[in-house]
Amino acid sequence: MKHFLYLHLLSARQALVKILRQPFGSLLSLLMLSVALALPLALYLGVESTQAWVGKLTATPQISLFMELSAEDADLAAVKSSLAGNPKVKSVSFVSKAEALAGLEKRNGLDGLAADLDSNPLPDAFVVTPVTLEPGELEMLQKELSGLPMVESAQFDASWAKRLYGMVELVRHLTLFLGAALGLALVLVTHNTIRMQILAHRDEIEVSKLIGASDNFIRRPFLYHALWQGILAGLIAWGLTGWLVATANPAVREFAQLYNEQLELRTLTPFELLAMLAATGVLAMLGARLAANHHLRQIEPH
Amino acid sequence: MIQFDQVTKRYPGGNEALKNLSFAIDSGEMVFLAGHSGAGKSTLLKLIAGIERATSGGVLVNGQNLSKLRPSQLPYVRQHIGLVFQDHKILFDRPVFDNVMLPLNIIGFDRRDAAKRVRAALDKVGLLGKEKSMPIHLSGGEQQRLCIARAVVHRPSILLADEPSANLDRAYALDIMELFKSFHQVGVTVVISAHDETLMEDYGRRIIRLREGQFAA
Ligand SMILES: Nc1ncnc2c1ncn2[C@@H]1O[C@H](COP(=O)(O)OP(=O)(O)OP(=O)(O)O)[C@@H](O)[C@H]1O
Ligand SMILES: [Mg+2]
Repeated sequence: MKHFLYLHLLSARQALVKILRQPFGSLLSLLMLSVALALPLALYLGVESTQAWVGKLTATPQISLFMELSAEDADLAAVKSSLAGNPKVKSVSFVSKAEALAGLEKRNGLDGLAADLDSNPLPDAFVVTPVTLEPGELEMLQKELSGLPMVESAQFDASWAKRLYGMVELVRHLTLFLGAALGLALVLVTHNTIRMQILAHRDEIEVSKLIGASDNFIRRPFLYHALWQGILAGLIAWGLTGWLVATANPAVREFAQLYNEQLELRTLTPFELLAMLAATGVLAMLGARLAANHHLRQIEPH
Repeated sequence: MIQFDQVTKRYPGGNEALKNLSFAIDSGEMVFLAGHSGAGKSTLLKLIAGIERATSGGVLVNGQNLSKLRPSQLPYVRQHIGLVFQDHKILFDRPVFDNVMLPLNIIGFDRRDAAKRVRAALDKVGLLGKEKSMPIHLSGGEQQRLCIARAVVHRPSILLADEPSANLDRAYALDIMELFKSFHQVGVTVVISAHDETLMEDYGRRIIRLREGQFAA
Protein backbone atom coordinates (compact mmCIF):
# COMPACT_ATOMS: atom_id res chain seq x y z
CA MET A 1 0.00 0.00 0.00
CA LYS A 2 2.77 2.38 0.97
CA HIS A 3 4.60 1.42 -2.18
CA PHE A 4 1.47 2.05 -4.22
CA LEU A 5 1.09 5.54 -2.76
CA TYR A 6 4.76 6.21 -3.36
CA LEU A 7 4.40 5.32 -7.03
CA HIS A 8 1.41 7.64 -7.34
CA LEU A 9 3.17 10.51 -5.65
CA LEU A 10 6.13 9.99 -7.92
CA SER A 11 3.92 10.02 -11.01
CA ALA A 12 2.08 13.11 -9.84
CA ARG A 13 5.32 14.97 -9.23
CA GLN A 14 6.88 13.96 -12.50
CA ALA A 15 3.75 14.99 -14.36
CA LEU A 16 3.74 18.42 -12.70
CA VAL A 17 7.41 19.01 -13.48
CA LYS A 18 6.78 18.01 -17.05
CA ILE A 19 3.78 20.27 -17.43
CA LEU A 20 5.75 23.24 -16.12
CA ARG A 21 8.62 22.49 -18.46
CA GLN A 22 6.56 21.89 -21.51
CA PRO A 23 7.03 23.98 -24.61
CA PHE A 24 5.62 27.46 -24.65
CA GLY A 25 2.99 26.39 -27.17
CA SER A 26 1.28 23.95 -24.83
CA LEU A 27 1.38 26.44 -21.98
CA LEU A 28 -0.30 28.88 -24.31
CA SER A 29 -3.13 26.45 -24.99
CA LEU A 30 -3.48 25.95 -21.25
CA LEU A 31 -3.71 29.71 -20.82
CA MET A 32 -6.29 29.96 -23.56
CA LEU A 33 -8.37 27.35 -21.82
CA SER A 34 -8.08 29.25 -18.55
CA VAL A 35 -9.24 32.48 -20.14
CA ALA A 36 -12.20 30.64 -21.61
CA LEU A 37 -13.01 29.15 -18.21
CA ALA A 38 -12.73 32.57 -16.58
CA LEU A 39 -15.70 33.76 -18.62
CA PRO A 40 -18.44 31.58 -17.10
CA LEU A 41 -16.74 31.91 -13.75
CA ALA A 42 -16.95 35.71 -13.88
CA LEU A 43 -20.56 35.52 -15.01
CA TYR A 44 -21.33 33.15 -12.17
CA LEU A 45 -19.81 35.53 -9.63
CA GLY A 46 -21.64 38.46 -11.18
CA VAL A 47 -24.95 36.67 -10.95
CA GLU A 48 -24.29 35.38 -7.45
CA SER A 49 -23.27 38.81 -6.20
CA THR A 50 -26.11 40.81 -7.69
CA GLN A 51 -28.96 38.37 -7.44
CA ALA A 52 -29.95 39.15 -3.86
CA TRP A 53 -29.68 42.84 -4.48
CA VAL A 54 -31.71 42.76 -7.65
CA GLY A 55 -34.29 40.64 -5.89
CA LYS A 56 -34.58 43.27 -3.20
CA LEU A 57 -34.96 45.99 -5.80
CA THR A 58 -37.89 44.18 -7.30
CA ALA A 59 -39.43 43.52 -3.94
CA THR A 60 -39.19 47.15 -2.78
CA PRO A 61 -40.06 49.24 -5.77
CA GLN A 62 -39.40 52.94 -5.72
CA ILE A 63 -41.02 55.85 -7.49
CA SER A 64 -38.79 58.68 -8.66
CA LEU A 65 -40.50 62.02 -8.70
CA PHE A 66 -38.80 64.51 -11.01
CA MET A 67 -39.67 68.17 -10.49
CA GLU A 68 -40.05 70.77 -13.21
CA LEU A 69 -36.79 72.60 -13.84
CA SER A 70 -38.46 75.84 -12.85
CA ALA A 71 -39.61 74.52 -9.46
CA GLU A 72 -38.86 76.87 -6.58
CA ASP A 73 -38.00 76.02 -2.98
CA ALA A 74 -41.60 76.68 -2.02
CA ASP A 75 -42.81 74.12 -4.57
CA LEU A 76 -40.36 71.58 -3.19
CA ALA A 77 -41.56 72.21 0.33
CA ALA A 78 -45.16 71.77 -0.78
CA VAL A 79 -44.47 68.45 -2.46
CA LYS A 80 -42.41 67.35 0.50
CA SER A 81 -45.14 68.03 3.00
CA SER A 82 -47.78 66.42 0.82
CA LEU A 83 -45.60 63.28 0.53
CA ALA A 84 -44.98 63.28 4.27
CA GLY A 85 -48.74 63.38 4.87
CA ASN A 86 -49.49 60.61 2.40
CA PRO A 87 -50.27 57.31 4.22
CA LYS A 88 -49.30 55.29 1.14
CA VAL A 89 -45.75 56.62 1.29
CA LYS A 90 -43.32 54.81 3.55
CA SER A 91 -40.26 57.00 3.19
CA VAL A 92 -38.91 59.78 1.01
CA SER A 93 -35.41 60.86 0.17
CA PHE A 94 -34.55 64.05 -1.65
CA VAL A 95 -31.86 64.40 -4.33
CA SER A 96 -31.31 68.05 -5.18
CA LYS A 97 -30.31 69.10 -8.69
CA ALA A 98 -26.94 70.19 -7.32
CA GLU A 99 -26.33 66.76 -5.77
CA ALA A 100 -27.41 65.08 -8.97
CA LEU A 101 -24.96 67.15 -11.01
CA ALA A 102 -22.14 66.57 -8.56
CA GLY A 103 -22.84 62.85 -8.71
CA LEU A 104 -22.78 62.91 -12.48
CA GLU A 105 -19.46 64.77 -12.49
CA LYS A 106 -17.94 62.34 -10.08
CA ARG A 107 -19.23 59.23 -11.77
CA ASN A 108 -18.10 60.19 -15.19
CA GLY A 109 -14.94 62.01 -14.24
CA LEU A 110 -16.27 65.21 -15.78
CA ASP A 111 -14.74 67.62 -13.31
CA GLY A 112 -15.67 71.21 -13.96
CA LEU A 113 -18.79 70.24 -15.88
CA ALA A 114 -20.91 72.41 -13.61
CA ALA A 115 -18.67 75.41 -14.21
CA ASP A 116 -18.99 75.00 -17.96
CA LEU A 117 -22.75 74.93 -17.88
CA ASP A 118 -24.74 78.17 -17.59
CA SER A 119 -27.42 76.45 -15.62
CA ASN A 120 -27.93 73.02 -14.13
CA PRO A 121 -29.94 70.94 -16.63
CA LEU A 122 -30.90 68.33 -14.06
CA PRO A 123 -34.14 68.39 -12.10
CA ASP A 124 -34.65 68.07 -8.36
CA ALA A 125 -36.02 64.68 -7.48
CA PHE A 126 -37.75 62.78 -4.68
CA VAL A 127 -37.24 59.04 -4.32
CA VAL A 128 -40.41 57.62 -2.82
CA THR A 129 -40.60 54.19 -1.22
CA PRO A 130 -44.25 53.15 -1.15
CA VAL A 131 -45.88 51.10 1.59
CA THR A 132 -47.52 48.69 -0.82
CA LEU A 133 -45.89 46.09 -3.04
CA GLU A 134 -48.98 45.34 -5.07
CA PRO A 135 -48.49 46.36 -8.75
CA GLY A 136 -52.03 47.75 -9.23
CA GLU A 137 -51.85 50.01 -6.16
CA LEU A 138 -48.36 51.06 -7.12
CA GLU A 139 -49.61 52.24 -10.45
CA MET A 140 -52.36 54.26 -8.80
CA LEU A 141 -49.88 55.86 -6.46
CA GLN A 142 -47.63 56.70 -9.40
CA LYS A 143 -50.54 58.46 -11.13
CA GLU A 144 -51.49 60.28 -7.96
CA LEU A 145 -47.93 61.52 -7.37
CA SER A 146 -47.45 62.66 -10.95
CA GLY A 147 -50.45 64.90 -10.44
CA LEU A 148 -48.75 66.91 -7.65
CA PRO A 149 -47.99 70.54 -8.50
CA MET A 150 -44.75 71.25 -10.35
CA VAL A 151 -44.00 67.51 -10.73
CA GLU A 152 -42.71 66.78 -14.19
CA SER A 153 -42.97 63.04 -14.07
CA ALA A 154 -43.21 60.10 -11.71
CA GLN A 155 -41.20 57.06 -12.76
CA PHE A 156 -41.90 53.67 -11.44
CA ASP A 157 -38.49 52.04 -10.89
CA ALA A 158 -39.78 48.53 -10.45
CA SER A 159 -40.22 48.14 -14.18
CA TRP A 160 -36.53 48.40 -14.93
CA ALA A 161 -35.74 46.44 -11.80
CA LYS A 162 -37.93 43.68 -13.16
CA ARG A 163 -36.14 43.88 -16.46
CA LEU A 164 -32.83 43.76 -14.63
CA TYR A 165 -34.02 40.75 -12.70
CA GLY A 166 -35.01 39.05 -15.92
CA MET A 167 -31.63 39.85 -17.37
CA VAL A 168 -29.83 38.38 -14.39
CA GLU A 169 -31.87 35.22 -14.84
CA LEU A 170 -30.87 35.14 -18.47
CA VAL A 171 -27.22 35.60 -17.61
CA ARG A 172 -27.56 32.80 -15.11
CA HIS A 173 -28.79 30.45 -17.78
CA LEU A 174 -26.04 31.64 -20.05
CA THR A 175 -23.54 30.87 -17.31
CA LEU A 176 -24.80 27.33 -16.99
CA PHE A 177 -24.71 26.85 -20.72
CA LEU A 178 -21.23 28.37 -21.07
CA GLY A 179 -19.99 26.35 -18.11
CA ALA A 180 -21.23 23.14 -19.69
CA ALA A 181 -19.80 24.06 -23.08
CA LEU A 182 -16.41 24.90 -21.63
CA GLY A 183 -16.45 21.76 -19.52
CA LEU A 184 -16.84 19.86 -22.75
CA ALA A 185 -14.06 21.98 -24.29
CA LEU A 186 -11.83 21.02 -21.37
CA VAL A 187 -12.50 17.34 -22.02
CA LEU A 188 -11.78 17.73 -25.73
CA VAL A 189 -8.66 19.84 -25.28
CA THR A 190 -7.13 17.40 -22.80
CA HIS A 191 -8.16 14.53 -25.02
CA ASN A 192 -6.17 16.12 -27.79
CA THR A 193 -3.17 17.01 -25.60
CA ILE A 194 -2.97 13.47 -24.29
CA ARG A 195 -3.46 11.96 -27.72
CA MET A 196 -0.50 13.95 -29.04
CA GLN A 197 1.58 12.93 -26.05
CA ILE A 198 0.76 9.26 -26.49
CA LEU A 199 1.72 9.47 -30.14
CA ALA A 200 4.93 11.27 -29.22
CA HIS A 201 5.78 8.56 -26.68
CA ARG A 202 4.79 5.66 -28.90
CA ASP A 203 8.19 3.95 -28.77
CA GLU A 204 8.51 4.29 -25.03
CA ILE A 205 5.02 2.92 -24.53
CA GLU A 206 5.67 -0.03 -26.82
CA VAL A 207 8.95 -0.95 -25.11
CA SER A 208 7.43 -0.48 -21.67
CA LYS A 209 4.58 -2.80 -22.54
CA LEU A 210 7.02 -5.37 -23.91
CA ILE A 211 9.00 -5.46 -20.69
CA GLY A 212 6.03 -5.72 -18.38
CA ALA A 213 4.30 -2.37 -17.91
CA SER A 214 0.60 -2.73 -17.16
CA ASP A 215 -1.98 -0.51 -18.80
CA ASN A 216 -2.45 1.29 -15.51
CA PHE A 217 1.25 2.01 -15.27
CA ILE A 218 1.28 3.42 -18.78
CA ARG A 219 -1.86 5.47 -18.30
CA ARG A 220 -0.83 6.90 -14.94
CA PRO A 221 1.51 9.69 -16.08
CA PHE A 222 -0.95 10.80 -18.72
CA LEU A 223 -3.81 10.91 -16.24
CA TYR A 224 -1.74 12.92 -13.80
CA HIS A 225 -0.68 15.24 -16.57
CA ALA A 226 -4.33 15.81 -17.38
CA LEU A 227 -5.23 16.25 -13.73
CA TRP A 228 -2.62 18.97 -13.31
CA GLN A 229 -3.67 20.58 -16.53
CA GLY A 230 -7.26 20.74 -15.32
CA ILE A 231 -6.28 22.07 -11.91
CA LEU A 232 -3.87 24.63 -13.35
CA ALA A 233 -6.47 25.83 -15.84
CA GLY A 234 -8.94 26.17 -12.97
CA LEU A 235 -6.44 28.03 -10.81
CA ILE A 236 -5.47 30.44 -13.57
CA ALA A 237 -9.15 31.07 -14.34
CA TRP A 238 -9.69 31.73 -10.64
CA GLY A 239 -6.77 34.19 -10.59
CA LEU A 240 -8.12 35.96 -13.66
CA THR A 241 -11.59 36.38 -12.22
CA GLY A 242 -10.12 37.50 -8.91
CA TRP A 243 -8.28 40.22 -10.77
CA LEU A 244 -11.39 41.08 -12.76
CA VAL A 245 -13.51 41.36 -9.62
CA ALA A 246 -10.91 43.53 -7.91
CA THR A 247 -10.80 45.87 -10.89
CA ALA A 248 -14.55 46.04 -11.35
CA ASN A 249 -15.49 46.45 -7.71
CA PRO A 250 -14.78 50.20 -7.26
CA ALA A 251 -17.08 50.96 -10.19
CA VAL A 252 -19.73 48.54 -8.92
CA ARG A 253 -19.60 50.04 -5.45
CA GLU A 254 -20.04 53.53 -6.82
CA PHE A 255 -22.88 52.45 -9.03
CA ALA A 256 -24.63 50.91 -6.04
CA GLN A 257 -24.11 54.03 -3.97
CA LEU A 258 -26.21 55.97 -6.43
CA TYR A 259 -29.10 53.98 -5.07
CA ASN A 260 -27.85 54.08 -1.53
CA GLU A 261 -27.14 50.39 -1.74
CA GLN A 262 -24.18 48.26 -0.74
CA LEU A 263 -23.10 46.08 -3.60
CA GLU A 264 -19.86 44.31 -4.31
CA LEU A 265 -18.83 41.43 -6.54
CA ARG A 266 -17.55 38.60 -4.45
CA THR A 267 -14.85 36.03 -5.19
CA LEU A 268 -15.21 32.28 -4.85
CA THR A 269 -15.62 30.80 -1.40
CA PRO A 270 -13.00 28.19 -0.50
CA PHE A 271 -15.62 25.51 -0.97
CA GLU A 272 -16.59 26.80 -4.40
CA LEU A 273 -12.94 26.99 -5.40
CA LEU A 274 -12.35 23.39 -4.33
CA ALA A 275 -15.48 22.24 -6.12
CA MET A 276 -14.41 24.01 -9.28
CA LEU A 277 -10.87 22.59 -9.18
CA ALA A 278 -12.31 19.13 -8.56
CA ALA A 279 -14.60 19.59 -11.56
CA THR A 280 -11.85 20.82 -13.91
CA GLY A 281 -9.52 18.08 -12.66
CA VAL A 282 -12.06 15.33 -13.17
CA LEU A 283 -13.13 16.60 -16.60
CA ALA A 284 -9.52 16.76 -17.75
CA MET A 285 -8.88 13.23 -16.49
CA LEU A 286 -11.96 12.07 -18.31
CA GLY A 287 -10.57 13.47 -21.56
CA ALA A 288 -7.21 11.81 -20.89
CA ARG A 289 -8.81 8.50 -20.04
CA LEU A 290 -10.78 8.49 -23.27
CA ALA A 291 -7.68 9.31 -25.28
CA ALA A 292 -5.58 6.71 -23.46
CA ASN A 293 -8.16 3.96 -23.87
CA HIS A 294 -8.44 4.68 -27.54
CA HIS A 295 -4.79 5.12 -28.46
CA LEU A 296 -3.05 2.68 -26.13
CA ARG A 297 -5.08 -0.11 -27.67
CA GLN A 298 -3.41 0.63 -30.99
CA ILE A 299 0.09 0.04 -29.65
CA GLU A 300 1.41 -3.57 -29.65
CA PRO A 301 1.56 -5.82 -27.74
CA HIS A 302 -2.03 -6.04 -26.62
CA MET B 1 10.48 -24.01 -15.52
CA ILE B 2 9.03 -23.55 -19.00
CA GLN B 3 6.71 -26.10 -20.56
CA PHE B 4 4.98 -26.17 -23.96
CA ASP B 5 2.08 -28.54 -24.29
CA GLN B 6 0.93 -29.13 -27.90
CA VAL B 7 1.31 -25.48 -28.71
CA THR B 8 0.17 -24.11 -32.03
CA LYS B 9 0.52 -20.47 -33.01
CA ARG B 10 -1.31 -19.17 -36.01
CA TYR B 11 -0.92 -15.49 -36.86
CA PRO B 12 -3.84 -13.49 -38.21
CA GLY B 13 -3.83 -14.22 -41.92
CA GLY B 14 -3.45 -17.95 -41.39
CA ASN B 15 0.33 -18.13 -41.10
CA GLU B 16 1.12 -21.09 -38.85
CA ALA B 17 4.40 -20.18 -37.08
CA LEU B 18 4.45 -23.06 -34.56
CA LYS B 19 2.81 -26.44 -35.08
CA ASN B 20 1.81 -28.63 -32.17
CA LEU B 21 5.05 -28.20 -30.20
CA SER B 22 5.66 -29.89 -26.83
CA PHE B 23 8.86 -29.56 -24.79
CA ALA B 24 10.12 -28.47 -21.39
CA ILE B 25 13.03 -26.36 -20.16
CA ASP B 26 14.12 -26.88 -16.56
CA SER B 27 14.71 -24.07 -14.11
CA GLY B 28 18.30 -22.94 -14.31
CA GLU B 29 18.89 -24.67 -17.64
CA MET B 30 20.70 -22.98 -20.53
CA VAL B 31 19.17 -23.89 -23.90
CA PHE B 32 19.82 -22.86 -27.48
CA LEU B 33 17.14 -22.36 -30.08
CA ALA B 34 18.28 -22.90 -33.66
CA GLY B 35 16.62 -22.62 -37.03
CA HIS B 36 16.60 -20.72 -40.27
CA SER B 37 14.86 -17.47 -40.80
CA GLY B 38 11.12 -17.91 -40.43
CA ALA B 39 11.44 -21.17 -38.48
CA GLY B 40 9.54 -19.71 -35.54
CA LYS B 41 12.30 -18.86 -33.04
CA SER B 42 11.06 -15.36 -32.22
CA THR B 43 7.49 -16.60 -32.03
CA LEU B 44 8.47 -19.26 -29.50
CA LEU B 45 10.26 -16.71 -27.31
CA LYS B 46 7.33 -14.29 -27.53
CA LEU B 47 4.98 -17.02 -26.36
CA ILE B 48 7.16 -17.62 -23.29
CA ALA B 49 7.14 -13.91 -22.51
CA GLY B 50 3.39 -13.63 -23.02
CA ILE B 51 3.87 -11.10 -25.81
CA GLU B 52 2.00 -13.36 -28.21
CA ARG B 53 -0.59 -15.89 -27.13
CA ALA B 54 -0.88 -19.52 -28.25
CA THR B 55 -3.71 -20.29 -30.65
CA SER B 56 -4.07 -23.67 -28.94
CA GLY B 57 -2.20 -25.66 -26.33
CA GLY B 58 -0.72 -24.68 -22.99
CA VAL B 59 2.31 -22.50 -22.22
CA LEU B 60 3.47 -22.91 -18.63
CA VAL B 61 5.94 -20.42 -17.21
CA ASN B 62 6.95 -20.57 -13.54
CA GLY B 63 3.92 -22.70 -12.80
CA GLN B 64 1.43 -20.38 -14.50
CA ASN B 65 -0.51 -21.37 -17.59
CA LEU B 66 -0.28 -18.24 -19.71
CA SER B 67 -3.09 -19.44 -21.96
CA LYS B 68 -5.44 -19.20 -19.02
CA LEU B 69 -4.38 -15.76 -17.80
CA ARG B 70 -6.37 -12.66 -18.56
CA PRO B 71 -4.55 -10.18 -20.85
CA SER B 72 -4.32 -7.74 -17.96
CA GLN B 73 -2.25 -10.27 -15.98
CA LEU B 74 0.36 -10.89 -18.68
CA PRO B 75 2.44 -7.75 -17.90
CA TYR B 76 3.21 -9.17 -14.46
CA VAL B 77 4.51 -12.38 -16.05
CA ARG B 78 6.82 -10.28 -18.22
CA GLN B 79 8.20 -8.51 -15.18
CA HIS B 80 9.88 -11.76 -14.12
CA ILE B 81 11.45 -12.33 -17.50
CA GLY B 82 14.42 -10.60 -19.09
CA LEU B 83 14.12 -10.06 -22.83
CA VAL B 84 16.79 -9.25 -25.39
CA PHE B 85 14.82 -8.37 -28.50
CA GLN B 86 15.90 -9.28 -31.99
CA ASP B 87 15.30 -5.67 -33.06
CA HIS B 88 16.80 -4.30 -29.82
CA LYS B 89 13.94 -1.89 -28.95
CA ILE B 90 16.37 0.67 -27.61
CA LEU B 91 14.92 4.11 -26.85
CA PHE B 92 17.16 6.51 -28.74
CA ASP B 93 15.74 9.64 -27.12
CA ARG B 94 17.47 9.03 -23.78
CA PRO B 95 20.91 8.07 -22.50
CA VAL B 96 22.12 4.54 -21.81
CA PHE B 97 21.46 4.89 -18.10
CA ASP B 98 17.78 5.74 -18.57
CA ASN B 99 17.29 2.85 -20.98
CA VAL B 100 18.53 0.41 -18.37
CA MET B 101 16.45 2.13 -15.67
CA LEU B 102 13.19 1.48 -17.51
CA PRO B 103 12.42 -2.03 -16.15
CA LEU B 104 13.10 -0.85 -12.59
CA ASN B 105 10.68 2.04 -13.02
CA ILE B 106 8.07 -0.40 -14.22
CA ILE B 107 8.36 -2.70 -11.24
CA GLY B 108 8.48 0.35 -8.98
CA PHE B 109 11.94 -0.16 -7.59
CA ASP B 110 13.14 2.29 -4.92
CA ARG B 111 14.92 5.10 -6.73
CA ARG B 112 18.23 5.16 -4.86
CA ASP B 113 18.70 1.41 -4.98
CA ALA B 114 17.68 1.50 -8.64
CA ALA B 115 20.64 3.68 -9.62
CA LYS B 116 23.00 1.19 -7.97
CA ARG B 117 21.32 -1.68 -9.78
CA VAL B 118 21.61 0.09 -13.11
CA ARG B 119 25.33 0.71 -12.60
CA ALA B 120 25.86 -2.88 -11.54
CA ALA B 121 24.14 -4.12 -14.71
CA LEU B 122 26.13 -1.71 -16.90
CA ASP B 123 29.33 -2.81 -15.19
CA LYS B 124 28.46 -6.43 -15.84
CA VAL B 125 28.19 -5.85 -19.60
CA GLY B 126 31.19 -3.52 -19.69
CA LEU B 127 29.31 -0.28 -20.41
CA LEU B 128 29.80 1.51 -17.11
CA GLY B 129 31.83 4.29 -18.74
CA LYS B 130 29.04 4.96 -21.23
CA GLU B 131 26.08 5.47 -18.95
CA LYS B 132 25.63 9.07 -20.05
CA SER B 133 26.10 8.36 -23.77
CA MET B 134 23.20 8.44 -26.15
CA PRO B 135 22.56 4.99 -27.66
CA ILE B 136 23.04 6.30 -31.19
CA HIS B 137 26.72 6.82 -30.39
CA LEU B 138 27.22 3.16 -29.41
CA SER B 139 28.60 0.52 -31.76
CA GLY B 140 26.39 -2.40 -32.76
CA GLY B 141 28.04 -4.64 -30.19
CA GLU B 142 27.65 -2.02 -27.47
CA GLN B 143 23.98 -1.61 -28.32
CA GLN B 144 23.60 -5.34 -27.94
CA ARG B 145 25.22 -5.14 -24.51
CA LEU B 146 22.89 -2.30 -23.58
CA CYS B 147 19.95 -4.60 -24.40
CA ILE B 148 21.43 -7.29 -22.21
CA ALA B 149 21.93 -4.87 -19.31
CA ARG B 150 18.29 -3.79 -19.61
CA ALA B 151 17.17 -7.43 -19.72
CA VAL B 152 18.98 -8.39 -16.51
CA VAL B 153 18.81 -5.23 -14.40
CA HIS B 154 15.72 -6.41 -12.51
CA ARG B 155 17.28 -9.87 -11.92
CA PRO B 156 14.71 -11.97 -13.75
CA SER B 157 14.53 -15.72 -13.21
CA ILE B 158 14.27 -16.31 -16.95
CA LEU B 159 16.41 -14.64 -19.60
CA LEU B 160 15.32 -14.87 -23.24
CA ALA B 161 17.71 -13.63 -25.93
CA ASP B 162 16.59 -13.44 -29.55
CA GLU B 163 19.66 -13.65 -31.81
CA PRO B 164 21.89 -11.65 -29.49
CA SER B 165 25.01 -12.37 -31.54
CA ALA B 166 23.61 -11.56 -34.96
CA ASN B 167 25.84 -9.23 -37.01
CA LEU B 168 28.73 -9.48 -34.53
CA ASP B 169 32.14 -10.88 -35.36
CA ARG B 170 32.95 -14.21 -33.86
CA ALA B 171 35.16 -12.95 -31.02
CA TYR B 172 32.56 -10.43 -29.92
CA ALA B 173 29.80 -13.03 -30.24
CA LEU B 174 31.78 -15.36 -27.98
CA ASP B 175 32.11 -12.57 -25.40
CA ILE B 176 28.35 -12.17 -25.41
CA MET B 177 27.85 -15.93 -25.03
CA GLU B 178 30.20 -15.91 -22.03
CA LEU B 179 28.06 -13.19 -20.53
CA PHE B 180 24.93 -15.35 -20.84
CA LYS B 181 26.83 -18.28 -19.39
CA SER B 182 27.63 -16.20 -16.32
CA PHE B 183 23.92 -15.49 -15.77
CA HIS B 184 23.20 -19.20 -16.19
CA GLN B 185 25.85 -19.93 -13.58
CA VAL B 186 23.99 -17.87 -10.97
CA GLY B 187 20.82 -19.88 -11.55
CA VAL B 188 18.98 -17.98 -14.26
CA THR B 189 17.12 -20.00 -16.90
CA VAL B 190 18.60 -18.87 -20.22
CA VAL B 191 17.17 -19.39 -23.71
CA ILE B 192 19.20 -18.07 -26.64
CA SER B 193 18.19 -18.21 -30.28
CA ALA B 194 20.51 -18.01 -33.26
CA HIS B 195 20.75 -18.80 -36.95
CA ASP B 196 24.21 -20.04 -36.72
CA GLU B 197 24.78 -23.29 -34.86
CA THR B 198 28.56 -23.25 -34.85
CA LEU B 199 28.66 -20.98 -31.81
CA MET B 200 26.26 -23.18 -29.86
CA GLU B 201 28.05 -26.42 -30.48
CA ASP B 202 31.09 -25.25 -28.51
CA TYR B 203 28.97 -24.99 -25.38
CA GLY B 204 27.66 -28.53 -25.25
CA ARG B 205 24.17 -27.43 -24.23
CA ARG B 206 20.83 -28.69 -25.42
CA ILE B 207 19.82 -27.29 -28.78
CA ILE B 208 16.17 -27.07 -29.81
CA ARG B 209 16.14 -27.07 -33.61
CA LEU B 210 13.12 -25.64 -35.39
CA ARG B 211 12.11 -25.86 -39.02
CA GLU B 212 8.87 -24.32 -40.25
CA GLY B 213 7.40 -24.34 -36.78
CA GLN B 214 8.26 -27.96 -35.96
CA PHE B 215 11.22 -29.78 -34.44
CA ALA B 216 13.89 -30.42 -37.03
CA ALA B 217 15.42 -33.90 -37.08
N1 LIG C 1 3.18 -10.64 -36.48
C1 LIG C 1 3.16 -11.59 -37.43
N2 LIG C 1 2.08 -11.68 -38.25
C2 LIG C 1 2.03 -12.64 -39.20
N3 LIG C 1 2.98 -13.53 -39.39
C3 LIG C 1 4.08 -13.50 -38.60
C4 LIG C 1 4.21 -12.52 -37.59
N4 LIG C 1 5.38 -12.71 -36.96
C5 LIG C 1 5.96 -13.77 -37.55
N5 LIG C 1 5.18 -14.24 -38.55
C6 LIG C 1 5.45 -15.41 -39.40
O1 LIG C 1 5.68 -16.53 -38.57
C7 LIG C 1 6.75 -17.29 -39.03
C8 LIG C 1 7.82 -17.41 -37.95
O2 LIG C 1 8.36 -16.13 -37.70
P1 LIG C 1 9.44 -15.86 -36.60
O3 LIG C 1 9.64 -14.40 -36.53
O4 LIG C 1 9.06 -16.55 -35.37
O5 LIG C 1 10.71 -16.55 -37.26
P2 LIG C 1 12.22 -16.52 -36.76
O6 LIG C 1 12.64 -17.94 -36.62
O7 LIG C 1 12.38 -15.66 -35.60
O8 LIG C 1 12.94 -15.88 -38.02
P3 LIG C 1 14.20 -14.90 -38.04
O9 LIG C 1 15.41 -15.76 -37.85
O10 LIG C 1 14.16 -14.31 -39.40
O11 LIG C 1 14.01 -13.93 -36.96
C9 LIG C 1 7.27 -16.59 -40.29
O12 LIG C 1 6.70 -17.24 -41.39
C10 LIG C 1 6.72 -15.21 -40.20
O13 LIG C 1 6.41 -14.68 -41.45
MG1 LIG D 1 13.32 -13.96 -35.15
